[in-house]
Amino acid sequence: MSVGDRARDALARLVDASAAERILISIASLVLAIAVGTVLILVAGRMTTCAPSSAVYYFNVGFCYDPVLVFDRLFLGALGDPLRGGWSPDGQFAITMRETTLLIFTGLSVAMAFRAGIFNIGTQGQMVVGGLAAALGTLWASPFLSGVTGTLVLVPFGILVGAVFGGLYGAIPGLLKAYAEANEVITTIMLNFIATGVTLYLVSDVFKDPNSPANQTVPLPDYAQFPALLFGARQDFSLYALFFGVVTLFALYYVLEHTSFGYDVRTSGIQPEAAEYGGVDAAKTIVSSFALSGALGGVAGALYVTMVIGKFQSGVPAYGFDGITVSILAGNNPLGVGFAALLFGVLKSGTTAVQFATDVPPQLVGVLRGLIILFVAMPEFFRLIGRRLVKPTDQSKTIATDGGESNE
Amino acid sequence: MATAVHLDGITKRFPGVIANDDVDLSVERGTVHALLGENGAGKTTLMNVLYGLYRPTEGRVVIDDEERRFESPRDAIDAGVGMIHQHFMLVDPMTVTENITLGNEPTKWGNLAVDRDAAREAVVELSDKYGFDVDPDARVEDISVGEQQRVEILKALYRGAEILILDEPTAVLTPQEVEELFEVFEELTEQGKTIIFISHKLGEAMRAADEITVLRDGRNVGTVEADDTTREDLANLMVGREVLLDIEKPPTETGETILSVSDISVDDDRGVRAVDDVSFDVSAGEVFGIAGVDGNGQSELIEALTGLRKPKRGGITFRGEDVTKRSRQHRIDSGMAYIPEDRHERGLVMDFDLVENAILGSQHNPAFESGGRIDWNATRSHAEDIIEKYDVRPPNPEAISESLSGGNQQKFIVGREFERDPALVVASHPTRGVDVGSIEFIHEQLLELRSRGVAVLLVSSKLDEVQGLSDRLGVMYEGEIIDVVDPSNTTEEELGLLMAGEHPDDDDTDVSAADVDSVATGGESQ
Repeated sequence: MSVGDRARDALARLVDASAAERILISIASLVLAIAVGTVLILVAGRMTTCAPSSAVYYFNVGFCYDPVLVFDRLFLGALGDPLRGGWSPDGQFAITMRETTLLIFTGLSVAMAFRAGIFNIGTQGQMVVGGLAAALGTLWASPFLSGVTGTLVLVPFGILVGAVFGGLYGAIPGLLKAYAEANEVITTIMLNFIATGVTLYLVSDVFKDPNSPANQTVPLPDYAQFPALLFGARQDFSLYALFFGVVTLFALYYVLEHTSFGYDVRTSGIQPEAAEYGGVDAAKTIVSSFALSGALGGVAGALYVTMVIGKFQSGVPAYGFDGITVSILAGNNPLGVGFAALLFGVLKSGTTAVQFATDVPPQLVGVLRGLIILFVAMPEFFRLIGRRLVKPTDQSKTIATDGGESNE
Repeated sequence: MATAVHLDGITKRFPGVIANDDVDLSVERGTVHALLGENGAGKTTLMNVLYGLYRPTEGRVVIDDEERRFESPRDAIDAGVGMIHQHFMLVDPMTVTENITLGNEPTKWGNLAVDRDAAREAVVELSDKYGFDVDPDARVEDISVGEQQRVEILKALYRGAEILILDEPTAVLTPQEVEELFEVFEELTEQGKTIIFISHKLGEAMRAADEITVLRDGRNVGTVEADDTTREDLANLMVGREVLLDIEKPPTETGETILSVSDISVDDDRGVRAVDDVSFDVSAGEVFGIAGVDGNGQSELIEALTGLRKPKRGGITFRGEDVTKRSRQHRIDSGMAYIPEDRHERGLVMDFDLVENAILGSQHNPAFESGGRIDWNATRSHAEDIIEKYDVRPPNPEAISESLSGGNQQKFIVGREFERDPALVVASHPTRGVDVGSIEFIHEQLLELRSRGVAVLLVSSKLDEVQGLSDRLGVMYEGEIIDVVDPSNTTEEELGLLMAGEHPDDDDTDVSAADVDSVATGGESQ
């Protein structure tokens, strides 16, 4: 058996793996990533210098960085040290939850497009547009209301505005793809730059807060921001938002699996020719999938504005790009996005925790994060590739290639 | 003469399908051999086995009297086998020389740099040797398709190919380029090269080949000398005539006109006219058959009728409504059922289970959907009904479509389409790749629909099938319906002639040079 054969067999096994097997594979990958990371930390710890008293000793060899401590901070630290007693929702855990919430929406945005067979790199731009729109919309509406009613109306209003504008911005590459056959990867990347540039101009000029040197809008009034629940307001996290995110996970799952729109989307995503045969309007499906994807990105932007920073400020962190990883990690399954977002949220917030507790340079922590994501994502990634590679050569597809190409 | 290629009992199985079934093929050195057959006959699969892209399930590949086991095309190239694919594998912005030597460049300075001069010289020498007229410094994107093809051939020769396989080489060429290609064939064989080319066009096989092997349903149904055969014989070999159980066809009353096609013209994906000014009607309670060798515009015609392809000209009236510009969904909703010729690409979503596939095309039908929500329970029982009534095995609605055998996949599609309660059934090769028992069943079901007053448009390249089932039979050749006959009063020989493009009323039935040209180029000459 040649190497190629064995690789192909392994790929085929991966493609056919059941849900339980896939979870096992993910856990094994995580363990493996930690093992490799441990080696890296030890090696890096040998190559730097530190006071003998601050070094940690394994088998009588001194290391400057302690892998146990690093991974303890990275995971348990991010979760607010649940094993130590006196656990409180405030602190690092709230930050983890905040990151998770935002990543749920950007992850869903990418996953939604993926399921329709579209690669939406533009979630970031849609998030930026949605964020600015939410801020401006809320600022415009806030003088009319105040107090609890203000919160009850303005927060959903802000999210709605973010969703609408994110959706409209997402519809642009959709229209370009559907009616001008423009490759969505290129257009969405360009639209990201346009979104960042235009919003920077707007908040540094037209909508700039005159009382602030920064490029930002006037802060939203307190009553127009996400109310905190259980968590302290300082952590910029609201349990309502997380709850909303979880509801959205299930809602998107329902839409994809139980509605005719979802049926059209999934069919177009995996077999466009069959979708066409089944009467699916390809152009309409592309545009509406893109709009829905953009709307989810827009919601992420609105949450970032109304929950995290309380205003729109240029330089929105790259949650949109992280969403791509989250979605791939989740195999583009909306329910999986929840877990992937949590893992990603833990890693992001854990990075800060590691930096508080150790001298490990942030770059090394970045490497560890990258390792974990790479290891966990790779099996899914190979599954995605494998579905294309293994099937066409071993299955039905060959029949179609015989001379069928001349009809294309 | 020595045997250059000997394929001995090649069988290639894919899950659920036998693409090649015990195929023997011998090609003499220095000859041109045409591999003729319809789409799906297994020509490309067989050549992919010879080129090392597939390993045969059974059988031996013998090159120059030596048995070979190719792990990859690289092994085949090392053994002197080169393949020119239908879609050229050239790098457009690079020059002819760069493309030909790519991956095998002559080097200088101890393998550090490409020796461009030596490369250019080698290419010039090679192209002079075979009388090829190519500019070694031209960019591939700037030269014609015919020249690109010659670059591909040079690429194979540069790698030391003695045996050249060409997959449908004429499909992309103009008539003049086809003629030039055949001259290249002559030059190559004179210098001892062996050529195998794949085609489904009778005329060009007769024109260019010394020997012709016809494949049908993965089997070699005959190897003939090009000089000793006629186009009718080849057409008959290609479509075959399996002995079918007698088709009992009770007389029915035809009703109103259901489908009316007037002066329709359709282009294929390359923008070449595939259907030219075709008109016909199909009435309720009637089977209208379209016979013809594959690739004469049937696929494009059917796609235009069912709403998958926009016609260039002409009109389609369905149940009294002009549907020419209406969507596919609209046509489904107004009662047009469609069994597509390609079940793997169109008919089923292979990753979906049968429940999900049961509503492909009726996902917006109120029977299964209300307020945007799909009623999966109703869908499941619908799938179970189809499975039971059409004897789909395994009888498990949760089975992923891909896991079913070809025949069962087809029965499921047939069931789904027939259960739509259609006014018209468009059946394109409904029994292709289906076992005999299922064929009979599908035929019975088609006639059952006919007796219920459903209009049936049947396209098949199986002569006995269209002849046995049709009430009227149109023969399609080169994008035109050249005649509509009463199948019960027409002999197979007459049909064979029509399918070969020779109208019995024509005086000139010779294969003249002009005729060959028009055969070789498909619809392009029009």
